[in-house]
Amino acid sequence: MSEAVAPLGFWPAVARLLRLQAQIAVSGLRRSSVRGRVGAAFLAFLMLLIAGFVFAMGLALMGFLRSPQLAAAAPELGSLLASIPVLILALGFLVILATSFGVLLQALYLAGDMDFLLSAPIPVRAVFVSKLLQAILPNLGLVCLVALPVLFGLGVSGGYGFLYYPLVVLMLAALALAAAGLASLLVMAVVRVFPARRVAELLGFLGALVSILCSQSGQFARAGQISRGQMTAVLRVVMSVDVAWSPLAWAGRALVGMGEGRWLAGVGYSLLALGAAGLVFGLALVGAERLYYSGWAAMQGVAHRKKAARGVRRRAGLPLAEAPARLLPPAVGAIVGKDWAMLRRDLRNLSQLVTPLVLGVVYTLMLVRARAVPANAGNGPAWATQALRSAMGYASIGIALFVGWTLLARLAAMGFSQEGRNYWLLKSAPVSADQLLAAKFLAAYLPSLAVGWAFVGLQAVVQGWGNAAGGAIWFSLSVVALCLAAADGIYLWFGVTGARFDWQDPRQMVSGTTGCLGALVTGLALGLALALFALPQIGLTLLGWPAPAGQLLGLALGGAFCLTCAVVPLWLVRGRVPRLGEG
Amino acid sequence: MQTPTLIGLEHLVKRFGDKVAVDDVSLEVRAGEILGFLGPNGAGKTTTIRMLVGLLQPTSGTVRVAGYDVQTQPLQAKAACGYVPDEPHLYPKLTGRELLRLVGDLYGVERAQAERRAEELLRLFDLSAAADDTFDSYSHGMRQKTALAAALVHDPRVLVLDEPTVGLDPKSARLIKDILRQMAERGAAVFLSTHILEIAEHMCDRIGIIDRGRLVAVGTMDELRALGKGERSLEDIFLALTGGAEYAEIAQVLQ
Repeated sequence: MSEAVAPLGFWPAVARLLRLQAQIAVSGLRRSSVRGRVGAAFLAFLMLLIAGFVFAMGLALMGFLRSPQLAAAAPELGSLLASIPVLILALGFLVILATSFGVLLQALYLAGDMDFLLSAPIPVRAVFVSKLLQAILPNLGLVCLVALPVLFGLGVSGGYGFLYYPLVVLMLAALALAAAGLASLLVMAVVRVFPARRVAELLGFLGALVSILCSQSGQFARAGQISRGQMTAVLRVVMSVDVAWSPLAWAGRALVGMGEGRWLAGVGYSLLALGAAGLVFGLALVGAERLYYSGWAAMQGVAHRKKAARGVRRRAGLPLAEAPARLLPPAVGAIVGKDWAMLRRDLRNLSQLVTPLVLGVVYTLMLVRARAVPANAGNGPAWATQALRSAMGYASIGIALFVGWTLLARLAAMGFSQEGRNYWLLKSAPVSADQLLAAKFLAAYLPSLAVGWAFVGLQAVVQGWGNAAGGAIWFSLSVVALCLAAADGIYLWFGVTGARFDWQDPRQMVSGTTGCLGALVTGLALGLALALFALPQIGLTLLGWPAPAGQLLGLALGGAFCLTCAVVPLWLVRGRVPRLGEG
Repeated sequence: MQTPTLIGLEHLVKRFGDKVAVDDVSLEVRAGEILGFLGPNGAGKTTTIRMLVGLLQPTSGTVRVAGYDVQTQPLQAKAACGYVPDEPHLYPKLTGRELLRLVGDLYGVERAQAERRAEELLRLFDLSAAADDTFDSYSHGMRQKTALAAALVHDPRVLVLDEPTVGLDPKSARLIKDILRQMAERGAAVFLSTHILEIAEHMCDRIGIIDRGRLVAVGTMDELRALGKGERSLEDIFLALTGGAEYAEIAQVLQ
């Protein structure tokens, strides 16, 4: 029997665990394709560019805010400048707290390496410290990308002393440690109530929702119309962060004090802020370690009661949304109902589906707002007014189609791939290729159609457009139904030819090439279909014919084209379906 | 009177590029018979089973299930067959009860009958309490039992199981053995792949041994013993057949 090896000390163990993480990262980069490496290099270069840009912008902004003319015009700016470090540190703290939550959830509960690490002859605390550092480092890097240039810009523009700059880095690192410590406790408290995987799905959903809302919020901002009162309110909020009892304010005041050469205030606040951060980190570390080791953080106290309640509710009957599936033949209806249940319950899917809905609402509101401006068409000729009205009708159809098309990109193009490793169940069942294709077509088509029609109806209600042109609403509904059928058929063709069943992450369901080609081809087909629907109406209107005549001709031409697009791709690909999943 | 053949493999071959995973395998399983399918890791057991249940197209040869050619009459063949894979991947966001209902619909079982059968199976496999929980909260053993319950919803004439007892507690493993025996007594054909030789020796009417894609032996325990060189236990026979070329003569005789 070999002699027992002396166990590693705390710091060597932390260093070894961090080195292991670094090795995994480097190894992943080494084994990645040339495209992946070039992408990583480009990303690094892009980040440097962003940092440089933020630094230049920060420098210019601080210079502007410190200009004597501005100070004379707005005396409250002096206290605002003093609050900027506090504000940035507070934002950085919150960002690291939020992002560390997600990373620690993965690292502590989903990575699956905790049992291995805790059973190894290394101090438990070293495992937790390495996990916390693992959670902090990437997020701290991203926060520094923005925060450091701004704070350094503040220092340069204010002529701050040398000690200010290392202290900025130290403060950010200390606050990041405290934030990660708190995040670890928060993760354990949440996972005690909800399953970790469910929390991760919810985080993904919320992340997608927040990203899309943030990206679209600019559509509604009217920067030119910000009043002085609103500006003052914003400044008041910024300055309210700088309160005497807050450790974040101590950190900011320490920076300003050191920068301005007020050594007593600078050193005093530095000690207070660093001490508070160290205390929070230490307490959180010990707390997290004990909660995890005692098993408290692995027990779910509330979930079972909720599950029982949910079970009783499900037994009572099918959800209303799945009822239409019961009208279909049993095998087709069963697959449609199953697909809808999976989509509804898996928040990773919902986060993909919520994007088109949010975009649709945003664009509808923009359209309504744009229409409100040219309410009367001015002194233009009648035919131009009529043509404009027709074109605006197609803008409404366009939004409905955009939403439906984006939904189909997920529902139809990934209709087969979403089966993943569970596909054996359908493949070993006595279900024909035609039944499978019909089920996948309907599972994608019916929700997209419902949402597309809802947008058409919503716009008709909001704009009173249905009253203005009685037949227009029915025309729009028909166009949307036919166009979405065409897009569904084409997307499903791509979904079958590019099906993947061995994915781990839903984002890997469809290859980039298949996704891009699918979007391109369906986009072109929809454009052509819309032209076939619209041109007869516009042309005949210009010739003085009544609108319904043009609409009927458009429906005949566009409808024939759409039905061809819906059916022919499925007919072409049906021979492939029985062999799916054999690659 | 001879019982009908419910599973028939004839000169079955599967190649993946240059690699021959299954090489000219022929065997039959009759109604009321349990066939144990043994072999070392990577011998071709799962590939054979995947071709048998229609998940994989053979390179050549034919597979017949309940008299139907799996290639030309796949729907009829699949309708007669129940399958439990080695890794029971089940839709993580479906509940046990919903899965059994789905399978009932896919196999054309009348709704009320499927509901009744699902409840019976859930009770039988001790899954009633978890029937309304989604699979992402199930243990491996629970998923394995649900997969078996799903394979039984439509009361198949042919049951194909790939390592059905892996990860099961002794009680569940015993239950599965009892169910398989009952199925065989009712006239079903059971094709069972396993690494547990004790199960194969005591449960199966006949045993097939595959090694490097070739079926090296098939027969009852007595036939295998009679053709060996004095080995008594299935373990010794298995090791002799798959462990060295000196036992190739047994394979030739058994073929």
